[in-house]
Amino acid sequence: MGLVIRKYSYINDRVASVDGRAIPVPAGEEKFLTALYRARRVDYPRFFKMDALSKLGFLASELIFEGDASRFTPRDHVAILCFNRSSSLESDAAYQATIRHGEEYFPSPSLFVYTLPNIVTAEIAIRNRLHGETAFYVLERFDPRALVGRVGEAFQDAATRAVLVAWVESFRDSREVFMMLVEKNDTIFDLPFSVESIVELLNRGRNG
Amino acid sequence: MDELILNLKREIIEVLNLEEVKPEEIEDDAPLFGEGLGLDSIDALELIVLMEKNYGIKLSDPAQGRELFKSIRVMATYIRDNRKK
Repeated sequence: MGLVIRKYSYINDRVASVDGRAIPVPAGEEKFLTALYRARRVDYPRFFKMDALSKLGFLASELIFEGDASRFTPRDHVAILCFNRSSSLESDAAYQATIRHGEEYFPSPSLFVYTLPNIVTAEIAIRNRLHGETAFYVLERFDPRALVGRVGEAFQDAATRAVLVAWVESFRDSREVFMMLVEKNDTIFDLPFSVESIVELLNRGRNG
Repeated sequence: MDELILNLKREIIEVLNLEEVKPEEIEDDAPLFGEGLGLDSIDALELIVLMEKNYGIKLSDPAQGRELFKSIRVMATYIRDNRKK
């Protein structure tokens, strides 16, 4: 029985797609991620409190799970594994700016909350009531082999029947998330979860 | 007092990223936590920072916040009577 990609989504600063289909997002004064949130009619005010890294992960998971009738049923068998290169450096720097000067030393609790990258996995887990394994890995560079290897290990746990796996990066001008819902399956009609599939689907997302 | 209340509402919306809320939608006497704006514990800490940063009021005991943050009007009254900025 192999691993297959059941559904996938891609978002950067200008495009969004799910299963390769572009998501229409009206152009306006709002930032792209906020415009996407409104375009999908998501009702989750906590979104506005998130840092960009969590917004990316959250929205990618919304695109994966929207329309799923059982999405808010608590599930123990879905793991969440995220990867990136810059950890939570963007929020780390924003928080550091609030404690840089002795006379203006006002550490921000709401920024501090996001000074760990794995908060994005928690945001997704809380929203979707996913109680399986969660982990966040920081790599030197995008490495589809690492994703395939780690997801394979997650499935070694008999409790895991699906893995939400994402490359989610937010630092300076580099913002993107590529997320896949991976499951066990043995039909030949599904997209195999492999290095080749990951590279092909990621490039398809980037090209809009 | 009305001006202070309005400014306070604007500051709270900005610092807590309440993008979907307008100042006029926040009732002066409505509870800020639980019902009302539905703020959480991190928001409470952020309000404590706001009090110090914008008004020079240092709350040494976070439990004070429970009384102070009952409503916008309670907050504004405390700020009016204790502000150092």
